[in-house]
Amino acid sequence: MRVSDSSWTNPRDNFESVPKSLSPDQRFAAERAFSSVLVNTVREAVGDALGRNVLEILTSKGLLDASNNSKEFDSKLRSLFGNGAAVLERIVVKDLNRKLGIPYDSDARFDYEKSLETAKEVCFVESRLK
Amino acid sequence: MFRGEQAEMSGSEILSTLLGSEVRGDLLVLFHRNPGLIDTVDGVARRIGRTTVAVINEVRELLELGVLRQKRIGAFEVVSLDRAKDRELLESVANHLKAVRISGEK
Repeated sequence: MRVSDSSWTNPRDNFESVPKSLSPDQRFAAERAFSSVLVNTVREAVGDALGRNVLEILTSKGLLDASNNSKEFDSKLRSLFGNGAAVLERIVVKDLNRKLGIPYDSDARFDYEKSLETAKEVCFVESRLK
Repeated sequence: MFRGEQAEMSGSEILSTLLGSEVRGDLLVLFHRNPGLIDTVDGVARRIGRTTVAVINEVRELLELGVLRQKRIGAFEVVSLDRAKDRELLESVANHLKAVRISGEK
């Protein structure tokens, strides 16, 4: 993961890491916005890497339902792809970071869960600034 | 430099080869997003932000699998997506994944 070259704090708990100044409505909207970006990114990444047929099969197996739960998504992805899961996760994070303007370093140690936490932080900060 | 050769492989083996490294994943995404792309290995490496050294063996794996093909244009060896073979391989992967069960599957 690339937290080392960004200025974002990276707390362990997703919800505690959310900026406190958001109203409940803003928080809900930001959660939905992040969820939407993430699900779309996972669809694009899997579809572009392995094709639409594979994407449809994974969708029918409920993989995308787990997109917002990084641990569950990681577990499902590993049960399907074994070591290849890490490659797909990197593709997802690379695309997600590009959309959110977060730099990505292929050489840095990779942690899918932490990468999503960072992306979520950015999404929430952007919501607060709007 | 490369030869496109492939023995009969299972969907699982194809999947392992396709997702064998991050660079290979980047190459798949590049060629699937740009199916008409024809470029040298140097050019392909630049497009995914890597060095030729980092990419050359990964391209070789995809050539051997048959996803990519190589030909000479003038003084240049170029690679491109073999769309028919790619479809065939991804179909094998899809059939393999259909049979794999994951936790919480509907």
